[in-house]
Amino acid sequence: MAKKLFPLILLSLVFMPRQTAVEAQESPNIHVVVNMVQLNVAVTDRKGNYITGLRPKDFVILEDGIVEKAATFAEGDEPARNLSDFADNPGPSGPPGSFAARSADGITADNFAALVNGANVFVLFDTSDYMYRGFVFAQDAITEFIRSLGKADKIAFYSYSRDLSRVAALTADRSQVLRAVRSTVAGDQAALYNALLMTLKDAAINTGRKIVVVFSNGPDNSSVVPPEDVAEFAQSAGVSIYMISTQTAKLEPVSTAVFDRMTAATGGKAYFAKNWRDEHRAFASIRDDLAHLYSLSYYPKPNPNGGWRAITVKLVGDNLKKYKVRTRNGYRPQPSRFSGADKANTLSGIVPQSHDAEGITPGHEPGGQR
Amino acid sequence: MKSALCVSVLLAFTLLNCDLFAGDRELPPSTPLKTSDPAVASSAEDGSLPASSQFAIPGPLRSFLRMAGMSQKITPDEVLPLLSRNVFTQGYEGSTHPTEFLILLKRYVVQARELSELAANSGMVLRVSNCDEARPLLRILGYRTRANCGDPATSLQTDDPERAFLAVDSGFPLPDLEQTLQGGKPFEYPYSSSPVPVLFAESDWTMASPKNFKENSRDLLDTILADPSVARLYWAFSRLDPETGKSLQQSIGLAKLLPYGAVLDFYGSGLCISEGHVNVPGGPAAEAAWKDLVGASPASPTTFVPKLVARDKGWLIAYFDALSRVSAAQQAYFTEPHRLRSFYSALRAPDPSAPATRGFYRPAPALLLLVTRLQLDDSGKPIVPGNLEIWKEILEGHNSKLVHRWGKQSTHLTGPDQLVQIMFAVSRAPTESGPLHTYMAISELDSRRSPENRLKPATVRLLAHRFEDYSDQYRIFSEFPELTDESISLFLDVAQGLNSLSVTARGNAFGIFQANVGIWQILARQGQIPNANLNESWQEVIKPFATARSAAQVYDAGQSSLGGLFRFSIGKARGSQDEIIELLAGPRQNSTDGRQMHREVAARIRSILDDQRLVSLDTILTVGDALAEKARGKQAPDYVVVLAGQTREFEMPRPIFTSGERTEWAAGIYNNHHTDVQMHADLPRVLRSTSASRAQIEDARGQLASFLRDTLVGLNYAYYEPPGAQALHNNPLFVRSHDFAGEALEGMKTLWQAPELMGQGSPAGGGAHFVGSLADLPYALAEIEQDFISPDSVQALIWRELTPGLLASSILPRWWNVSPLELHAIALYQRTGEELLTASAKDEALRSKVLAILSDRMLPQRLRRLDQLMSSGRTAAVLSQMMPADTFYLAAEFQQKYPEEPMAWGTAGQELQSLCKEHPDQVNWKRLSHDFGTPHPSLAQNYGLELLNVAPMPPFSGSSSRFLAESWDSPNLYWARLADEGGYAPVMLTHLVPQLTRTMIEKIFATDFEDWPALLRAMHETGQEFREGKFNSPSRISEVRP
Repeated sequence: MAKKLFPLILLSLVFMPRQTAVEAQESPNIHVVVNMVQLNVAVTDRKGNYITGLRPKDFVILEDGIVEKAATFAEGDEPARNLSDFADNPGPSGPPGSFAARSADGITADNFAALVNGANVFVLFDTSDYMYRGFVFAQDAITEFIRSLGKADKIAFYSYSRDLSRVAALTADRSQVLRAVRSTVAGDQAALYNALLMTLKDAAINTGRKIVVVFSNGPDNSSVVPPEDVAEFAQSAGVSIYMISTQTAKLEPVSTAVFDRMTAATGGKAYFAKNWRDEHRAFASIRDDLAHLYSLSYYPKPNPNGGWRAITVKLVGDNLKKYKVRTRNGYRPQPSRFSGADKANTLSGIVPQSHDAEGITPGHEPGGQR
Repeated sequence: MKSALCVSVLLAFTLLNCDLFAGDRELPPSTPLKTSDPAVASSAEDGSLPASSQFAIPGPLRSFLRMAGMSQKITPDEVLPLLSRNVFTQGYEGSTHPTEFLILLKRYVVQARELSELAANSGMVLRVSNCDEARPLLRILGYRTRANCGDPATSLQTDDPERAFLAVDSGFPLPDLEQTLQGGKPFEYPYSSSPVPVLFAESDWTMASPKNFKENSRDLLDTILADPSVARLYWAFSRLDPETGKSLQQSIGLAKLLPYGAVLDFYGSGLCISEGHVNVPGGPAAEAAWKDLVGASPASPTTFVPKLVARDKGWLIAYFDALSRVSAAQQAYFTEPHRLRSFYSALRAPDPSAPATRGFYRPAPALLLLVTRLQLDDSGKPIVPGNLEIWKEILEGHNSKLVHRWGKQSTHLTGPDQLVQIMFAVSRAPTESGPLHTYMAISELDSRRSPENRLKPATVRLLAHRFEDYSDQYRIFSEFPELTDESISLFLDVAQGLNSLSVTARGNAFGIFQANVGIWQILARQGQIPNANLNESWQEVIKPFATARSAAQVYDAGQSSLGGLFRFSIGKARGSQDEIIELLAGPRQNSTDGRQMHREVAARIRSILDDQRLVSLDTILTVGDALAEKARGKQAPDYVVVLAGQTREFEMPRPIFTSGERTEWAAGIYNNHHTDVQMHADLPRVLRSTSASRAQIEDARGQLASFLRDTLVGLNYAYYEPPGAQALHNNPLFVRSHDFAGEALEGMKTLWQAPELMGQGSPAGGGAHFVGSLADLPYALAEIEQDFISPDSVQALIWRELTPGLLASSILPRWWNVSPLELHAIALYQRTGEELLTASAKDEALRSKVLAILSDRMLPQRLRRLDQLMSSGRTAAVLSQMMPADTFYLAAEFQQKYPEEPMAWGTAGQELQSLCKEHPDQVNWKRLSHDFGTPHPSLAQNYGLELLNVAPMPPFSGSSSRFLAESWDSPNLYWARLADEGGYAPVMLTHLVPQLTRTMIEKIFATDFEDWPALLRAMHETGQEFREGKFNSPSRISEVRP
């Protein structure tokens, strides 16, 4: 890592695929569909240094004000462990510290890449007419980013103009992705939000940390889905969106607003690069984020709210309250009034299923969306 | 849907409004082009124009094709023609200003020549083994090494962005070069030029260009890039048959033909010179008439062709071309000497100064529509719906000057021919609501009715007068010719009456009314409303709206209308939402496969209702009943109050924009007034209240109408869900945002025509939505969802206009009542057609019969190429060029024309013949056409399913380009054949056809909008994958096929 760390706190929430059901206490006839919810959390101090070495007990998760019990926990590239593991085995983390402290413990820029193991990184590259002038510089920056990810598990590379092109499917083979980057062709209208939605859907079916890095010049002149729906899907699927754009987009208020707000809502960040050097710096910043995420999951307690559910994550203890936590503010449960298994119960339109809280299970797409 | 062709500023491959296949383009051999393959296939092998020389394209062909915006799957023969086409269609803004596409292509050619020079030093291979050696190469490519060159972590960096862009865009293997610079193995990249065939000699073209007289230094590539007139003529010649092209080149010369490049491009493929004779539409019997019209004998091509091409700024050859595309029966009518002349005089009269080559597309699509779809009665006369008096009235009453002028002549209308003559006169008018379209739509409608049930004059008058506002709604009348004049009039009168409702009630009234009519249409199409009850049920669905005036009355009308649907489909006045979903999912099925498909369709409908977060129909009707009771003084039960809470469950998506931002950035686009009103409704409160006034209860019932509208409209949307739909599943406002009342759009003339798409590409606009009616909904939904199809090839884009047509054709047919015997017959017809073609290679008499049949589907030049291939025994090439519809029609027509002739050409023919004898009820044309046909809403004004025996249409601008997709009946026939081969039950096509069609669209890799061979190639590739088991296919049937 050849750059100074940026102050950043990252928190994201991930729906994991296993569906469970909890009977509401208020009425035996009301059932809710819930999914195991996974959160990616970044914690920073006031200067923006990442705070590492926190433990599950340091976090409190609230959903609509209801205190939730964490099911699994991980830091950085560690595999997710059940909370019971932490009772028996405190793990290697030790006391909390800043990134600088951790660096002293051996997590340095040199082995930085190892921290992102387990991430599924989807790069979405704007090849519309809007990108023409900066096309080759953007390619340079993306190829450098891909190389720098080192041992990160998998990368997919997609491009878009009016249509999405899945140039390289999710793979650990860097050379395949690099070839894909260099094979892109520029031109046509831009349907960013259509393409982003489909990219998120591809990302959502994977387990583990998932991020989408969008390199776009900003404007969208073809999409049929609005950014609100795309952002909600990303939140429900637990995919963090990072967007790297140019000053051109900064001059366009609609794109600026969407990029800033959508990335913040999903736990990512937007960058508006003045030149190709800024683009490289933005990619480096994204790598930093990837390396310092806490992963927490929980099974929501009974909650009759079938609409938007607010999530808050706090740190416990006076010595931690000074740190900043960033998270998206909620998710929307799967609608299932008609397509659910129990259509007979249309009073609430919510479907009963057996509760199963055995950790993370890969498989179905989250959120009931396709 | 009606967007203009958009040519990308930059690039290579930007055929957005692309239409495939003109119907007159030769299919290339199936072997794709190989990069730098010196073994260029001989064009003569495949019956295209002979290549008498070759030209060396600098650098690898793959790179050149990328930069020139051409498919990687083309053959070498196609390289120069398609390059020429792209140059004149995409290379210039206006007549002379080069586009970025052309500028980049020219720059690339320079770079490729530089690289070729570099490669020449080492045997036409670019070799680099270390950083020092890389410098000359990198300079040309526009890249530089970093300071750590040689280190495994190094990479290339852009040095000269202009050159680097060319290197990247042309697909230069930079990653390989980088690996070498990282200390890897030496880089070696063959960089020889790529020879491609040239029509005639290179000098024939370079000398023809007046631009070369000054410089005289350009080779063929430079000439094509510099001179769009040469490029266009080259393209036009590439589509002529060899003898015609050679004859023109030798007798007239390329230089003299240069001014006629556009004419030959648009209309030249109808020309065919054979043995010193021009083949004319109508055949030998029409030669005298053509001689009279053109002023030269077809027996003298050297005088006939120049006159044909030059007369009336291209309109004469446009006429010739249009007539050459229609069936022999139609040609016989139009080429009767008097008609040929009088119709042409009418065609040319309106504006002699306007050329037939103006614009990017062929003008006057209505001309082709007229000659293709003119309905003739049994005596060979054009159908005149109503009577001539009515048409006099219609023409006289039209407000266009042109029509008015001809309308005056109509006072002397004495016969159908004169009416047709007037239609020719107005066929060039750029409108889709003029008298020609009116006549074509109404005559299509009338021709489907039995002679004793023809439209009454008053109905024709009504249809004509309301055409401009309601024409898209007429398709339902064509689909169900059983509907009486009374039923048609009732619909139009009720719809007209709804226009006068208040704005608040109108949107819901339009939506509920059309949604119920849409459900009626589906149930009638699926046979769930008996034929005998079509009119009665139709009227029950429509009549309740005749008296609706207030919002609450709109709810009552909707409920009553829905009751009519239930009564005629399930035999009771009240059904549940589940029951209506089960009905829409298809007729009850008894087989395991049938039940599986039925469940699948029902599940898809339910998932959309969920994703749109619509209120259950059961809830709406229960709450509606409770409100009615409350108005009569009876308090609502508690459970109903709880149910009513569902109307308050919907939440808007979490906003990204403030309301101020929406006002500023999406004025006129963002409009969720309908949803806002819903969210302010508090029906539980009204139900709970013990003091609610009668007015408050009425208001509540009016509010309930908006929920009823959304759910009913949602059912229509869900039924027509295109494969791979995303907007339907991810934009919960999509159904709610359908603007039936035109609230957000000022100046819409009518709200009853096909919906317009609004909000696309407007991030603050809340997502795309429709404004207008539900007419044409299958196409409209496919149009909005097509952009979620991800093409397999990087440069391939999805073809606007064509793709929605293909998707709609895959969704409409449902296969519930198709027997395995029928499915097998469809396969046998195609195989029999292939057997006939194969046998024709050795049997001249048979070949003559076969070609006569195919002449109804092919332009003369394509037919002659086929003849040449068959007579030389190249049956593999013949079969590779045939579309499934070609072989199907060939076998069907052959059987009909020669019923006594034993199908002794192969096993399929024999099996088919016995099948037809044993099961004439199942394998007859009418039934197969209905069960395996596709909708033709633009071409035949009908969403009913049928097979149309028409030649593939050329592209036109605007919605007329839909003709192209609708004239291609092949995919479903081919998928059926695959299913039969794979042992699937016919009902499984309900699952397979949309999936296979979507996959085919993903595989289309075409170069231009007339590249129909690309479509056929994509279809075959999809079929190959299916045969190899690469699809997630449903189970196969276990029953033994007959």
